[in-house]
Amino acid sequence: MLETKDLTKVFKKTTAVNQVNIYLEKGESVGLLGPNGAGKSTTISMISTLLPPTSGEVRFNGEDALKHSQRLRKVMGVVPQEIALYEELSAYENMRFFGKVYGLRGKELETRVQDVLELIGLTDRKKDAINTYSGGMKRRINIGVTLLHEPEILIMDEPTVGIDPQSRNYILDMIRTLNREKDITVLYTSHYMEEVEKLCDRVYIMDHGEIIASGTNEELKSILSNEETIQIHVHTLSPAFRDTLSKHGSVRKVTEEGQGYKVIAPKGEDLLGEVFELAKQTKTKITGVAIQTPTLEDVFLHLTGRTLRD
Amino acid sequence: MWTVFKLQWLRLFKQPVLMVTFLGLTLLFVYFLAGAQGTQTISVPTYSEELTSEELNEWIDRLNEEETFLFVESDYETVYDNIRMNETAFALGLTQENYEFLIGREDMEISTLIQYVDQIFVTEMRLQGVETDFGLTGLEVTEFIEIETRSHAAAVSSGDRYRLGIVVGMSLYFSVFSILFLMINLVEEKQTGTWNRLIFSPLTKTKIYLGQLTHYLLAGMIQIGLAFLILRVLVGIDLGTNYLEMGVIIFSFVFAIVSLGMLLMGIVNTPQQLQVVIPIVTTSMAMLGGAFWPLEVVTNRLLLFLGDLMPIKYGMEAMVDTIVHDHTLSQLIVPLSALILMGILFMGVGINLMERVSDN
Repeated sequence: MLETKDLTKVFKKTTAVNQVNIYLEKGESVGLLGPNGAGKSTTISMISTLLPPTSGEVRFNGEDALKHSQRLRKVMGVVPQEIALYEELSAYENMRFFGKVYGLRGKELETRVQDVLELIGLTDRKKDAINTYSGGMKRRINIGVTLLHEPEILIMDEPTVGIDPQSRNYILDMIRTLNREKDITVLYTSHYMEEVEKLCDRVYIMDHGEIIASGTNEELKSILSNEETIQIHVHTLSPAFRDTLSKHGSVRKVTEEGQGYKVIAPKGEDLLGEVFELAKQTKTKITGVAIQTPTLEDVFLHLTGRTLRD
Repeated sequence: MWTVFKLQWLRLFKQPVLMVTFLGLTLLFVYFLAGAQGTQTISVPTYSEELTSEELNEWIDRLNEEETFLFVESDYETVYDNIRMNETAFALGLTQENYEFLIGREDMEISTLIQYVDQIFVTEMRLQGVETDFGLTGLEVTEFIEIETRSHAAAVSSGDRYRLGIVVGMSLYFSVFSILFLMINLVEEKQTGTWNRLIFSPLTKTKIYLGQLTHYLLAGMIQIGLAFLILRVLVGIDLGTNYLEMGVIIFSFVFAIVSLGMLLMGIVNTPQQLQVVIPIVTTSMAMLGGAFWPLEVVTNRLLLFLGDLMPIKYGMEAMVDTIVHDHTLSQLIVPLSALILMGILFMGVGINLMERVSDN
């Protein structure tokens, strides 16, 4: 349905996106996962025909989407990272305006506005100015105006940034419903791996402007099938303990996480006993140990040596 | 295009403070600087130490036949004290066969006053001479040549012209402020992302720009038109009846200013920076273009050259020519062309710069 071929964007001397190849099949939910500055937003801007690529192409149903941008724009909805709304106007006024922009008029417009307001749970507050809304409500209306013309493809650029867990869950459930029940194709970018894991059928992992891995959640996690993650909680963080762990022959990676360390090591190695021994040597008090199944976060860590929030 | 246009009006109606403030400031400044005195006649204290009260009043009646000045009977001591205390700028003293002026300070009306009194005095002296020579009484002057005045020019004194300059200059100055400040909305839209949201939509960029620019153009025209209307109705300032010409001038001027706004937004692209740049540009333009004082008092060639590059100069020039000299559109071709050309140039460069910024 929608694909990119060697999509590249160079800003002056910086290559923001380098030969990115992505495809979306109809009804799929695809995640684009990467840390801040990985090039996700630039990729989305090019896919949504906002930004012309330096080289490469975007194809929609086999046609050059950049040459025939109007065809793609009519069936695409883009949820930007920022709250792109007229804050002095009410939710209802914003919706009517953006509905008209997509050619909706009269009764059809009114029905769509009411339907979307209900979907996003803002019918009661529809007459209030956006600048009186909470962060979560703003995010919901930010998505809502994109749904008015019933898009076939929904491109979302970190739509849950900076909101409370309750609003985030509401939004994620809504997107999942749209994808599963209305068969809307979703391209979802985020640096929250839990969101991508929860929502997406397939995931592209992006770093420094390049796709470094892709596949279903399970396929990606299988990269770490020979490894396991040990989460060690300590009383006080100890650089000496960390260094000793890093130098251990069986340890692949050590990262600091919260009040402890995350250790990736080959499966089957009896490392736990040695971990306690090393802690004793460096006078570090261990308060808890957990062996975890790998997450996409671990995959990213394995591939780049950094966490998604670095 | 109309959807974007109507949205901008809706936004303006929701937050009208900016436009109302600048309209209020226009009226306030014009009223205090020009309007309040606009229709007043100039009072001239008149005294005599030689003539009887009856003779003095006869002269005063004769001098008051024209309505430009109001000659008021007074006495030397009062006039002298008032001039010394700077309460009166000048006074007229009459003798049997002559007159004199007591002048406390320079005033732009003095030359007109001297000319007026001299004309009346010479006429009266000649009549008295003929009456004495030929023993006649009750002679009257008959004008054999009548000059039909086709414009206000002859009737408009230098003070009136100065006040008209203030009315037009201040109205245009504040309208530039409100148009440019209103245009910050466009930059804010680019920052908040609503602009991109429109670009993602099936609307073309041309339609989005046209919707926005038509709104600013119309808002600017309404502001100037409304200011002129209020000044005419409430303050009684005569702005002539050449509505078509005034409409075309207002359109051309606002077009040049909206284009200037686009140029500024192409160069400076954050609302915060624009809030600093707009007052600097607007006030400099008004000073150089003659909105605060007549350009006739400027002698520096560089300043005059810079003034030639300011749209406000051509806007004022065209308006004053239409009001005072009844200039038609064909006679206004030079200032109107200058405004339109500036508009096209600023708009072209501005949109190019804005698009270059958004591509990067």
